[in-house]
Amino acid sequence: MNAGAVLLWLAMALYALGLALTVPSVARRRPLLSPSALGALGLGLVFHAASLAVRAAEIHRLPITDVRSALSSFTFLATLAFFLVYLRYRIASLGLFMLPLVLLLTLLSALRAGSSFESPAFRSGWLLVHIASILLGYVGFFLTFIAALMYLIKSRELKSKNPRGFYFRLPALDVCDQLYYRSLVFGLPSLSLGILTGFVWASRTWKGPWELDPKILASIVTWLIYLVLFATRLSGNWGGRRSAALAILGFVAVLVTFLGISMWSGLHGYFPNLGGGN
Amino acid sequence: MNLLLVGINHRTAPVEVRERMNIQEARLGSAVSDLAHRDGILEGMILSTCNRVELVANAREEVEAAPILRSFLAEYHHCDLAPFEPHFYWLRQQDAVRHLFRVTSSLDSMVLGEPQVLGQVKEAYATARRVGALDGVLDEIVRRSLAVARRVRRETAIGSSAISVSYAAVELAKKIFGSLSGKTIFVIGAGKMSELAARHLLRSGASAIFVSNRTYERAHVLAQAFHGTAIRFEELFATIDRADIVISSTGAPHFVITKEQAEKLLAARKNRPIFFVDIAVPRDIDPAVNELDNAFVYNIDDLEQVVEANRLEREREAARAEKIIEEEITRLRRRLATRELTPTIVAIETRLNRIREAELERFGGRLATLTPDQHQAVGALTRAIQSKILHGPLTELKDGADRPEHGNIVRLIRRIFGVGE
Repeated sequence: MNAGAVLLWLAMALYALGLALTVPSVARRRPLLSPSALGALGLGLVFHAASLAVRAAEIHRLPITDVRSALSSFTFLATLAFFLVYLRYRIASLGLFMLPLVLLLTLLSALRAGSSFESPAFRSGWLLVHIASILLGYVGFFLTFIAALMYLIKSRELKSKNPRGFYFRLPALDVCDQLYYRSLVFGLPSLSLGILTGFVWASRTWKGPWELDPKILASIVTWLIYLVLFATRLSGNWGGRRSAALAILGFVAVLVTFLGISMWSGLHGYFPNLGGGN
Repeated sequence: MNLLLVGINHRTAPVEVRERMNIQEARLGSAVSDLAHRDGILEGMILSTCNRVELVANAREEVEAAPILRSFLAEYHHCDLAPFEPHFYWLRQQDAVRHLFRVTSSLDSMVLGEPQVLGQVKEAYATARRVGALDGVLDEIVRRSLAVARRVRRETAIGSSAISVSYAAVELAKKIFGSLSGKTIFVIGAGKMSELAARHLLRSGASAIFVSNRTYERAHVLAQAFHGTAIRFEELFATIDRADIVISSTGAPHFVITKEQAEKLLAARKNRPIFFVDIAVPRDIDPAVNELDNAFVYNIDDLEQVVEANRLEREREAARAEKIIEEEITRLRRRLATRELTPTIVAIETRLNRIREAELERFGGRLATLTPDQHQAVGALTRAIQSKILHGPLTELKDGADRPEHGNIVRLIRRIFGVGE
């Protein structure tokens, strides 16, 4: 295992430790996470950044052009987002919602064989902006999904009049809504930029009906779902259950577009068939 | 230390007895001063509230403080104590410390976790200090009990949830809206309970209040009291969409707000959440409104349920608080024991050191032929022997602090080593 991989595994171990350490705080309804939990997660973030830096040095550009690195970059950004949101809103249970998926995706990235595929097309600035904006968009939508989930659970428990597990451990509805709104404001423009730059790059690089590539179609569907969510939110507070269902669907679309289609898309997967090999 | 605590509380004495034994605030200073200056008493403190009257005193060793406290009470209240005796509880030493810790942490209060008692103990402490009644062990113990109470409130949730219906309404509002600042209250039906709930909400940060009532004058009066606006009942639905929190307690036999009306309200508010507090019987708000997204309806039973759930939570937290208190008692006991032993340990070591140095001098002549190195070795040798001999007795002193015969052991060891009583 090279240095980058070792650093990534260390980061994962620290994330797992941090996640485990958040459980007592949430179980005991403490308003804040313990310093040890935050410390473990913070240190994990540092190692994660280091592993990405090593990868970047290996390939002489941003570590986002192969699935493994892109996944790793995504989870790094997601953990960074977790810290920013936690510091701003002090939601102790946020870790429980965000970190398991982060951990899983990081594990996925560590397990995949690294791609050494090279192509002059990868040097393109358009491509890098494209991937980077898409990743940022996905992070935003991840937060949107989490916020919607928290809002839904809290709203349910408030209506049931029967305070149960999360009643005491979730932030106020208003806070969930703020997070929902702001993450949309961040995510949608990012994704839009990503899709646009993607179109520009594709039109310069590929011939043939690349518009029909499954990944591109899937990402447009994702974009549409989030556009609807955003429009609904703008015209009024989102109506609880319906919007929640849509937010969950939207995130599923994100996951499918990000991970699933990478495997299938001949053209667009991270194993593009540009006359080269895998 | 020789601690004695005598008291009555809401569990051991009815209100008439508590009234009779109460020591008014105005006279508290002189009372504590009187108590602390009695023969045989070193320190004292008095805590007198509507739910308890407690005297705690640190007496000289060997002094039995109970009769002193009894005569103090009898003299202060100009009465025969006999009829009240059955209501008193007497606690000594560690039990007294535990009781003090528990009382200050609100574990002994009528409502578990109530916040007033900490302030009451603080004041009793300040008064006792002011008249010079606290300057030793008891002073430290009371200070510790204040710190323990703060720790309990910090590390457990014992004091953090609503214990009454109106506080429950505030708590729920905060779960929906986060901060209440900038939020608007609408009171329908100007009655006692709605007034109370509105008052709590305003105190917790809500900014604006509208009051509406069938008779306009009553609405006006209440609105004035809260610096709000009165709304005529007929014009209710023209303004109520501005309300984030609606408190309803009219005597109307039918629903004041139906599901359709609530739907319209939500639409007008662009679906921003509304919290309906329905304290009327029969209910003012159609319960079906609760089915609407972003509308939350709590009637009086629901609020009681929240209070009850909070009470159960407090009891769970109380168990953790008791653990913290036991921890603190052990810590305090060890600290006091070590402190008490220090003069003894110092005295014994000093005495043995003198013996050692005296003997070294006496043998100075015979040791004159030694090299400086050897001289040093002899010095080290004698010091080593001294500390090894002392190790046993010192360990016994320190570790035996918990045992009842400890006082006798200390005295014995002091006698054996010739450092006096």
